[in-house]
Amino acid sequence: MNKKVILVGHFGVGKTSLVQQFVHSKFSEAYLTTIGVKIDKKEVDVDGLKVNLLIWDIAGETAQSKVPKSYQLGAHGVLYVFDLSRPSTYNNLHEQLDYIKELLPGVPIEVLANKKDLLTEEETKQILSGLSLEIRTTSAKTGEYVEEAFLRLTKAMMA
Amino acid sequence: MNKGLGFDKLREILLEKDWEERDQLAQKLEDLDDQINSRNRLEEKIQPILADERVNLKNKFPELFGPQITESISKQIRESQDEVVEVLYPIIGRMIKKYITNEMEKLSERIDHQMELAFSWEGWKIRIKAWISGTPQKDMIISKLIEPKIEEIYVIERNSGMLLGSFSKSAALDRDMVAGMLTAIKAFVEDAFTGETQELSNIDYDNFKITIKNFKSFFVAVVTSGGMNAQFRDKLDDTLLDFAQKVLKRAKHGAESDAQNEIAEGLAKYFENFDKDE
Repeated sequence: MNKKVILVGHFGVGKTSLVQQFVHSKFSEAYLTTIGVKIDKKEVDVDGLKVNLLIWDIAGETAQSKVPKSYQLGAHGVLYVFDLSRPSTYNNLHEQLDYIKELLPGVPIEVLANKKDLLTEEETKQILSGLSLEIRTTSAKTGEYVEEAFLRLTKAMMA
Repeated sequence: MNKGLGFDKLREILLEKDWEERDQLAQKLEDLDDQINSRNRLEEKIQPILADERVNLKNKFPELFGPQITESISKQIRESQDEVVEVLYPIIGRMIKKYITNEMEKLSERIDHQMELAFSWEGWKIRIKAWISGTPQKDMIISKLIEPKIEEIYVIERNSGMLLGSFSKSAALDRDMVAGMLTAIKAFVEDAFTGETQELSNIDYDNFKITIKNFKSFFVAVVTSGGMNAQFRDKLDDTLLDFAQKVLKRAKHGAESDAQNEIAEGLAKYFENFDKDE
């Protein structure tokens, strides 16, 4: 079974690093800067069921509306990534998520606060409480919660 | 006498240690002199140091001298273009000659094959076709030499870029990812250069061509090699339309895995012998 997952968020939040950490593949690295998307594939096992995740790592934009719709359409799941150390990447989070929900109604979205390793626990807590959303923290650098984030999204897609 | 003896004794007591040290120093100097002036012994000492330096220089050579060498070569090429051409011309010339000879041999083999066919049933078919279509027989023979062939076919869901089915005569890259990238390239071109009503329908690269047929919820990308001609294009269009009508419509109503199997079987049935059909 194949499922399309898109990774979206501002430029430089660590989307590509998250995929690299999860997939360890460099199939279409060059295309990311050329046409704005990089596609990777990884098979995961969800409760005994093999699922092929086709991960579309979409080049970062300050507003989701600037990303070609065609890259996002048909996605079965979304990973929205922001950078905990750069407020400009999460200041308009609700607006961005509303845009995605409208474009992809009913599609599960996992919001990831990346670069956890750059902040203290206290600072992270403070930022997340201000956003009042269910957000998971990740670190592409240490690999913390990366695999779990993809698996959690896959389970939500299969539900 | 006793005084002199006493003085000697005193001197011996006072300087005994210094004399010992003097003797040791003299011995060391003698050893050093021996080491420096004896090639074998000097080599023994210096060889490991030189060996280490050699390894170090070898490892760091590109880093240490790379930019200077590159710059020097570039400068040399810029300043002595005529000499460079003179040196490279025979090599490149030979390579080109070899390539052309090789290609001519291949062409010659194919012409021989066609000539052999001339008096066969195949040859008569070409003659009759040429006569009916009004095309010169030699044109038909030449077009046969660079006959287009289907290499791969991808049936891809339009929105998601997910692969619905594929057909290939050889092992290709991961087809799911190829389908995704084709969708992304198509979307990129359509977004960047055309309006919403126009769609990418061809990608050309060297001897290969990707023909894209757009349908409502999916598109089909056909990778062909050889020279595409109107007859082949017509046949491909008709077959794809027939395939879309019969197989894809039926497959759309089934479960995902059933649909994929049905599309794969349909592709094989429609295109396995596509190049051989007349």
